[in-house]
Amino acid sequence: MVTMSEKPANVMGPTLSRRGFIKAGGILVVGFSFVGPELLRGDTAKPTTFKNSLDPTLASSWIEIHPDNSVLIRTGKSDFGQGSTFTAYRQIVAEELSVPFEAITTVVSGHTDLTPDGSGAFDFLGHGTPNIRKAAAYTYQALLDVASEKLGVPKGKLSVKDGVVSGGGKSISYGDLVKNQQLKLTIPVKGDLTSIFGLTIEGNPPMKPVSEYTVIGKSFKNSIISTKVAAKETWATDVRLPEMLHARVVHPKTLGSTLVSAGSVDKTKFPNSRVIVKGNLVGVVAPTEWEAIQAADQVAAGTKWSEWKGLPGNAKLYQHLREEADWTSAPIEKSKESKGDVGPVLSSAHKRHAATYQLSYMKHAPIGPTMAVADVKSDGTVHIYVHNQNPQALRGEIATMLGTTPDHVIVHSYPGPGHYGRSNGGNSGAEDEAVLLSQAVGKPVRVQWTRADDMQWSTQAAAAFSDVQVAIDEKGKMAAYQIDHYMPAMQDDRPVGAVLAGLPSMSAPDVHSGGVTSTVNGIEDPWVYAPVPNVTERGHGTFQVGQKASPLAVGLRDHSMRTPGQFQQNYPRELAISEAAALAGADAIQFRIDHASEERAIGVLKAVRDSSGWDPRPSPRPDAVSTGATPVRGRGVSLMLRSGTYWACVCQIAVTPSTGAIVVEKYTIAVDPGIVVNPMQLKRNVEGGAVMGIGHALFEEVMFDESGITTEDWNSYPIPTMADIPEIKVVLLHNPKVGAYGGGSEAANALAAPAIAAALHDATGKIMRKLPMKPAYVQAVLKT
Amino acid sequence: MVTLNVNGVRREVKAPDDTPLLYVLRNDLELIGPQFGCGLAQCGACSVLIDGKEARSCVTPVASVANQEIITLEGLPARWAKQKGLSGAEAKNTLHPVQQAWIEEQTPQCGFCQNGMMIKATELLESNPKPTLAQIKEAFTTSGPSPNLCRCGTYVAIIEAVQHAATIMAKGR
Repeated sequence: MVTMSEKPANVMGPTLSRRGFIKAGGILVVGFSFVGPELLRGDTAKPTTFKNSLDPTLASSWIEIHPDNSVLIRTGKSDFGQGSTFTAYRQIVAEELSVPFEAITTVVSGHTDLTPDGSGAFDFLGHGTPNIRKAAAYTYQALLDVASEKLGVPKGKLSVKDGVVSGGGKSISYGDLVKNQQLKLTIPVKGDLTSIFGLTIEGNPPMKPVSEYTVIGKSFKNSIISTKVAAKETWATDVRLPEMLHARVVHPKTLGSTLVSAGSVDKTKFPNSRVIVKGNLVGVVAPTEWEAIQAADQVAAGTKWSEWKGLPGNAKLYQHLREEADWTSAPIEKSKESKGDVGPVLSSAHKRHAATYQLSYMKHAPIGPTMAVADVKSDGTVHIYVHNQNPQALRGEIATMLGTTPDHVIVHSYPGPGHYGRSNGGNSGAEDEAVLLSQAVGKPVRVQWTRADDMQWSTQAAAAFSDVQVAIDEKGKMAAYQIDHYMPAMQDDRPVGAVLAGLPSMSAPDVHSGGVTSTVNGIEDPWVYAPVPNVTERGHGTFQVGQKASPLAVGLRDHSMRTPGQFQQNYPRELAISEAAALAGADAIQFRIDHASEERAIGVLKAVRDSSGWDPRPSPRPDAVSTGATPVRGRGVSLMLRSGTYWACVCQIAVTPSTGAIVVEKYTIAVDPGIVVNPMQLKRNVEGGAVMGIGHALFEEVMFDESGITTEDWNSYPIPTMADIPEIKVVLLHNPKVGAYGGGSEAANALAAPAIAAALHDATGKIMRKLPMKPAYVQAVLKT
Repeated sequence: MVTLNVNGVRREVKAPDDTPLLYVLRNDLELIGPQFGCGLAQCGACSVLIDGKEARSCVTPVASVANQEIITLEGLPARWAKQKGLSGAEAKNTLHPVQQAWIEEQTPQCGFCQNGMMIKATELLESNPKPTLAQIKEAFTTSGPSPNLCRCGTYVAIIEAVQHAATIMAKGR
């Protein structure tokens, strides 16, 4: 089999192995063990990896072909419901290897000691070239080399179908090719294993032409759904270790409170419970979960915290961001699409639209609160059992907290409640606390957050606002567009338990913290209206709200959430474009088509127009009305480009002016990802995202006062129920000439908000430029 | 000591009377279908059938259901086999039609809430074999202590799976 070998065998001989395929720069080499790894990597920087992970430079760490013709694939990516690792990844590998989908019998993912790469659970399809595809493409070439040698037929005369190599009248299966062989195939890899983006396979191995695809494009089922539905999957919540203790954490009273004194447990009632205090981290452990819960309640009641008020409260959030936040310390980012000179065009515009758009904080709100089991061994080895979206990054964070190296930390990943990006930077909340409590008691500890912990102590999607100006010329065209996006740092990857305990972690977001954890606000929403002659898009960043004022350095911690940053930027842009269309007296879809040049953007717009029964006319509708108890109807549109995929949606709503209640009646969404890898899985991802987006648009708002988050449960943080869903129509535009597959798990949740807001304007003639559009807020806008 | 009737089997558990049934099922009886979502009967992730009715195990004291029939997700195949009089061998290889439909329709995304969704669907279809769309929506939103919540937004797929399950159940296998 093609696998890692202790003593690499030279099966090919120098001549044959060297003729693999050496491309420009000498980076890309398929060879065998006679060449040392350093030489094979050529000028590629050595990847940063650690012990207790598979060697990423060995193709067999990614893909194993077994003598029985079965195939095993490994990815450090940790699927949380998208299905990509169990469907798309299998299809992609099957395609590149020319084996049936069913031949890929095993998918190993997430566990840091069993996989080679890393990275967060985003961008699974890698804009058409995920790591696993390259690993498969390299492996395919090596298999052809081996087959050529074995059959005595030149490589160019070989072809493969269903895992059988044929040529010159001879044939052999992959299984027979690898039987009794120890092959070592080295591939070029770069990157940092424990960073948010993990490792990347380098080079450009030949890939199968799209025209020859037979596996990609079919609706294969997601294997993990079957085991989950039958209660046969082990979830992170199910992990039970010998001698494991259950724990609850008593979090501080406010986001800036320090511990005065920890409460105690009544040993007559809870004889086996213990209170663990480390800095401002208070934990309660007990042998049974029910005792831990009750004892923690008692400890919480007796624990004294300092008082703190340092937040603006959500009613004054916008005022705080506008007037008090420091927008000067982080450099202003400008998009590469910015061009021309907007200033004079705006000031002399025939018609001008100028407005500010606001977004509230939103929670990831996984349906199960975060939990983790940690086992800190006496030799310092740490095992963490968890549902996590970037296990390798978590390793790094735990190692930093403990002052050790990632070699000593092993993260075992299991399915869990989706949290839509919250742990893409490493932790989701309970992991570090479990480690610290396990270290303190010398036994495995399972920390389960409560619903309130999860609402109040997890990170959230950052609030934001944007100032927009649009100039419309005499012909009704956009002559200038200017947008200034303001958003606090959108990703704080410090484990909160480490911060509370006063232990080392990465620095809090600031201008120098780099990458996604920086206070710099980059432009995340690709411009799709290229014909507009003058464009300025700027991003302004600042610290998280309360971060500097809090004695704990905590405050309102943010983290990227499904369509991160782009949600906050696309909502103002798309609503402003709809308003600009209205100002120009133009139909909102036609106005967009007239300002787009990319065929795929126009394609999704036409698709939603045709599929939704859209009647072209300007907004608001001629009989728009903003009073009365009779529902009035309207429609709106939005457009987005994300991860190589074009998206458009039309929302048709009914709003009752007297109550402000909005009902989305019909939701039409068109998706052009280029190649559709798996229509069924893509459709399900899109439907789910669409429903989530209705929640973002209509209900979701983190409520907080001057001390902390007051949202605590599903009543105070409502999400859509089955009663809230409209008729949903998904239009998948399979577009193979693009030659690549774009992402399909994000974006859908971001499209509804600007479309619903435009629909409200269409129905009532009143514009609401703030999310969420809760009935009370809508009512207030309609009264103006 | 409490004696429970879970999935057709008598089980004795040493848990205080006020322990929520959820923790007994998960920690003492190793039944992992029901999940902890809120502990407040606000989401339905922990649902089980108690005497055929969907109930939230996270707020149900274990002693209060000592003499009742408790069915978890794990018990759905046997419940269906019994209702249809399937042989032991047949029963072993059969999932409940609701589970079959959930797979056919590729309903779950993360799947954490789907235990409760399948329990609710089973309760619904046992009393109403051919529910209308409005009746399905009512079942999943107003019939229980709270709506059954799905953060991944799989409600469209749930509705399609309920309709699919109704078809399988009508055919009888």
